[in-house]
Amino acid sequence: MAGGEVRLAKLVKAFDEVTVVDGIDLHMPGGEFFSLLGPSGCGKTTTLRMIAGFEQPTSGEILLDGKNVALTPPHKRNVNTVFQGYALFPHLSVFDNVAFGLRRQGTPRAEVRRRVNEALAMVHMEAFAKRRPAQMSGGQQQRVALARALVLKPAVLLLDEPLGALDAKLRKILQIELKALQQEVGITFIYVTHDQEEALTMSDRIAVMHEGRVEQVAPPEVVYEEPSTTFVADFLGTSNVIHAVATQATASGCEVRVGEFELTAGRGAIDARGETKIAIRPERVTLEPHGSTGPNRLAGMVERVVYLGNANQIIVRLPTGEALQALVQNTGEKLAYEQGDPVRAHLPAEALRVLADTGAAEIEEQAAAAA
Amino acid sequence: MTQASATGRAHAIRLRLRRRPKVLTLFVWGYIVWSLAPALIAIAFSFNSGKSRSIWQGLSLRWWTDGPGSMLHNDVFRGALEHSFTLAVLNVLIAVPLGIGLAITLSRWFGRGSGAVSLLATMTLVVPELVLAISLFLLFTQLLDIVELGTMAQVIGQVTFTLPFVVVITRGRMSSISTDLEEAAMDLGCSPLQALRLVLVPLLQPAIVASVVIAFALSIDDFVVTQYLSSDASTQTVPMLIYNTARGSATPALNATATVLVVVTALLVALGGLLYYALSRRQRLGAAE
Ligand SMILES: Nc1ncnc2c1ncn2[C@@H]1O[C@H](COP(=O)(O)OP(=O)(O)OP(=O)(O)O)[C@@H](O)[C@H]1O
Ligand SMILES: [Mg+2]
Repeated sequence: MAGGEVRLAKLVKAFDEVTVVDGIDLHMPGGEFFSLLGPSGCGKTTTLRMIAGFEQPTSGEILLDGKNVALTPPHKRNVNTVFQGYALFPHLSVFDNVAFGLRRQGTPRAEVRRRVNEALAMVHMEAFAKRRPAQMSGGQQQRVALARALVLKPAVLLLDEPLGALDAKLRKILQIELKALQQEVGITFIYVTHDQEEALTMSDRIAVMHEGRVEQVAPPEVVYEEPSTTFVADFLGTSNVIHAVATQATASGCEVRVGEFELTAGRGAIDARGETKIAIRPERVTLEPHGSTGPNRLAGMVERVVYLGNANQIIVRLPTGEALQALVQNTGEKLAYEQGDPVRAHLPAEALRVLADTGAAEIEEQAAAAA
Repeated sequence: MTQASATGRAHAIRLRLRRRPKVLTLFVWGYIVWSLAPALIAIAFSFNSGKSRSIWQGLSLRWWTDGPGSMLHNDVFRGALEHSFTLAVLNVLIAVPLGIGLAITLSRWFGRGSGAVSLLATMTLVVPELVLAISLFLLFTQLLDIVELGTMAQVIGQVTFTLPFVVVITRGRMSSISTDLEEAAMDLGCSPLQALRLVLVPLLQPAIVASVVIAFALSIDDFVVTQYLSSDASTQTVPMLIYNTARGSATPALNATATVLVVVTALLVALGGLLYYALSRRQRLGAAE
């Protein structure tokens, strides 16, 4: 499969003075499963609609395989969309829905039949060809919508929260199917979601968006393990974000002060100085009895223990007033700490990140270096 | 008051409310009889064997097809019927496509639930028909030389007051059709015009059927505008005929003429109703072909 490369350059969209997409630069090589992840209202759908051609950018370029298509109408772009509400034509059967695009292209009858059946088989919907959209469940409609878009063999497939309306179990199943399908057909998928787990499971790379800007672009494990900004750390699941003051460089990173304690942070923006924030995932925090010594330790008091089944979540109150979460795997042994116990929290330098709210370009470079 | 008696009382009130009040039922049936009876009586008298339209003298087809004074043999009556139906068909053919086009255009430019359409709809409710009739009359006789009184003026007049009905019906349907569908059509290779033809118009079918019925019925029913814009006897419709002759020496042949009009209109409305029901059901449930 050739092509499918998408490049967004300084893309801006404003509705009546309100800037919704605020200068996005992204590059998606052909065949990539790329996700736009971000909270509601951050401009994901608007970005996708500009790539599809339903909205015209206020400024900036959309390059599809090197050609600027920013002003090309949707029916002339080799891009297809799977809509959040599926948007199947209610007056047509499943077969006719899938055949719709092929017929517009004037494909011969026999080939229409063959390709529609092929596409329906790909999404396991052959048995439903004669049904109307309203006679199917949400998951079945979703599969048909996918077949309808894929049958045209677009260079890029755009998906706007395609699993948003489905129940959790079906979503899991379809996530796996979608990913497998993408690898099978080998075209570029641009996938919009506000569900971080969905993005992490399926994507080759993720762009985390916030208020019309891209905060970080990186593979899932990098976005998750090494969030580069406070927003990303916060948005991607529970991460501890603590106020700190970066003081000086050390052999293994950067010295930061949290209250009266001095720690070494080995990751992130270790060149930062002054007021900053540090982040660490709860599963990387280990708790030790009060009085234990060593570097990178903070004193605190167990405030609450929450039983999660496979783990215990322990919330430790730091002397600075901030809360720190630690996740302790449930090994079957009795937990050593109870509410009110003084403890020491160990934050290993290699898991401790200094966050910097740097611009997107810089971050993309970092990510490229990391990948 | 004890708890038990309180709940007992509430229960009794609820029961009383649930029972249908007899007076209301009586009123509804009374009203139906009251409004239908004159028409039914008029229809019955078209089969009278005597000349009277009020004293029953026996059953015959004398005023329909048989006698020399029958509707079939009266050119004026036949002409009025023909003209009524001609106007109705022309009104449907012009007002329905125009109204649907207007509704689509308005919703495209002003949004699907726009105020412009609502304004258009209330305007014609506020403007009395007589005012519309007189202004059109003045327009055609004083200002516009191209349009002469007669069929053309009558059609223009009827289309004018029919249009808002079609627009409102269409808009009601459009508000339930997601814009996603047209975008999906364009995404799959349709030009905007093709998307309209292949997706929006088929989905508007129930609205089209309803508009046809309304446009037909409004035209058949109309008196004021049609009368004002008529020229000579050749542009006389059945309502005009009834108005002009009913007070004079009318025979049951007039009743026969009116009956044809009523029956054809009723059949069309019934057919339209069935079709509307079938179409919207088909689109909702999507009966497989
Ligand atoms: N046609 C429009 N006119 C005016 N404002 C709009 C329009 N479309 C979107 N917006 C605004 O742009 C912002 C971003 O919208 P967008 O739909 O792109 O968000 P999103 O990231 O997809 O959010 P969600 O996860 O809720 O779908 C919102 O504040 C929205 O109100
Ligand atoms: Mg959205």
